[in-house]
Amino acid sequence: MAKSAANARTTGPAGRRIGRWNVASRIVAAVPANYLVTSLATACLARLLAHGLAVNPAEASVTATLLSFAIFATIALFAFGLRSVSRLWLWLAVSGGVLGAALWLSLGMGGRL
Amino acid sequence: MKEGLRQSMALLHTWTGLLLGWLLFAMFATGTSAYFQDEITRWMQPEITGSADPVTSAEGAVRFLQRTAPDATSWYISLPNSRSATTQVYWQAAEGQKRGKRADTSAVLDQSGREVSTRDTRGGYFLYRFHFDLHYIPVLWARYLVGVAAMFMLVAILSGIITHKKIFADFFMLRFNKGQRSWLDAHNVTAVIALPFHLMITFTGLVTLAIMYMPWGIAANYADRTAFQDAVFGKSVEVARSGNPAPLVAVAPLMRTASAAWDGKRVGYVKITNPGDSTAMVNIARASEGAIGSRGEEISFNGITGRPADHSMAKGAALATESVMIGLHAGRYAEYGLRWLYFLSGLGGTIMVGSGLVLWTVKRRTKLPDPSHPHFGFRLVEKLNIATVAGFPAGIAAYFLANRLLPLSMAERADHEINSLFLTWLAVFVWAVVRPSARAWPEALGLTAALFAAVPVVNALTTSRGLPASLLAGDWLFVSFDLVMLVLAAGFAKGARRAARKRAEGPRAVRRKTPEAMAA
Repeated sequence: MAKSAANARTTGPAGRRIGRWNVASRIVAAVPANYLVTSLATACLARLLAHGLAVNPAEASVTATLLSFAIFATIALFAFGLRSVSRLWLWLAVSGGVLGAALWLSLGMGGRL
Repeated sequence: MKEGLRQSMALLHTWTGLLLGWLLFAMFATGTSAYFQDEITRWMQPEITGSADPVTSAEGAVRFLQRTAPDATSWYISLPNSRSATTQVYWQAAEGQKRGKRADTSAVLDQSGREVSTRDTRGGYFLYRFHFDLHYIPVLWARYLVGVAAMFMLVAILSGIITHKKIFADFFMLRFNKGQRSWLDAHNVTAVIALPFHLMITFTGLVTLAIMYMPWGIAANYADRTAFQDAVFGKSVEVARSGNPAPLVAVAPLMRTASAAWDGKRVGYVKITNPGDSTAMVNIARASEGAIGSRGEEISFNGITGRPADHSMAKGAALATESVMIGLHAGRYAEYGLRWLYFLSGLGGTIMVGSGLVLWTVKRRTKLPDPSHPHFGFRLVEKLNIATVAGFPAGIAAYFLANRLLPLSMAERADHEINSLFLTWLAVFVWAVVRPSARAWPEALGLTAALFAAVPVVNALTTSRGLPASLLAGDWLFVSFDLVMLVLAAGFAKGARRAARKRAEGPRAVRRKTPEAMAA
């Protein structure tokens, strides 16, 4: 009974049925993966502002932190708004990879207080 | 806009709103009341009357602390603002001495530095702290939980906006007695009218605890959080006592100097480190009502000579933005007109969350395979809705009633006031579980209405500051408090009547629109 109700609810765009795995993978993308990518983006932005653009480090860190919630909310919306789950994960993996590499390089070059 | 996107956003809106909706309801309700936390505290301490001058109060507090805790490491003096009449003092016991309970290192003083004799209560301050610290669980967990709920709220608001088709038309759309349509209208009207407020309050709420939720921006540039705090607030030099006694400088002239430096804004907070020692320092902070920014100005003085000491705080656009965001959230700067607007917007937010929760069940009831025996998930949501939408406000009313009814000499009285809130909430939950939902709704709402209506009555019976006396004396704080209780009682009574009528008609009769229902 509950199962049929759940299936009726998750009839997706264009009448397509959205499976359980589809929803589960979007939830993983929207919460833990999102937090990881947002954290990397926040850290990268803080490094970029402080070391690349010579902004006062406290200012750089706070700017990045304030923006982080907007970034998180936007990615969460995309996690459910994007039609294709594989494209969603591709986006997350690529941006996570690029940001992670940039942060690693930046920390490797030193200048960490 | 593509229909597919709207559908997936509707799904997201529904589930982010539901999952932590009950917690969000309690957060919205207590957060709204916190805009009047000083007034609530004054109502809950009816023995205290009049107002207090901050400079006289500071002098009184210093005299009290010199008697009570002469060799403390530091004294914290929270001065009365224009809405309160008492001074809160805390002190940190000298090193080597064991830390006592909170009650042993804090006191509430009047303007002349005498401990006030009033009933033991945490007043409006408890509701304010519950808003982000919750209760009975460790503060750290509570704050993470509250942060997750706030992020769910932000996503629910944004996906709700995308889902919404006619955002402008819904400003003017509130159709009563139309079943599901009315719930949707109530949800939309409260959401849309105060939409800028909801977005602002949710985002800035996250910002108030940003460093906890998203520490990586700071970790990227600083080795630890202390290094960041030193950079922002100026290095806090903890100087050990020298052991050479020296008399403390008079605080009143320092407060005047500070006020003058801030264009006459009042002082809110005085911190004195190493009092009575030659290394004493006096830190004076601007009152939070003086400006929007929460990170108030601060001036340090040498505690012996009274000369201003070097104290530089980092300044910049991002830090100022953060400070203003936190200030906007807390609304401490707001004068009464704006404060009422904050309160009404918060009330709108509470109704938005509550109506959204109810809407979840109303929408699904008609689609149930067997509406008389709904599945477990549906029943759980329905019971939690009754327990929260009716039960949590009932708990708040019980908190106020307990303040008037518990014996004044009771041990741990303040804790029992708080327990009455949660016991009432629990009782309504149990009631909702054991009764059929259609009956539990009007009963629980009726109970909440009765409890709120009882508050002014009990106040009049147990104190000399009842509604008639307050009206005669022109005591607008007490008058307003009692009137708000009556308005809330009327609102819940209306809800109870409507729920009772709906039960009598049954779900079908509502749609057929009987002549009686039209006339009513």
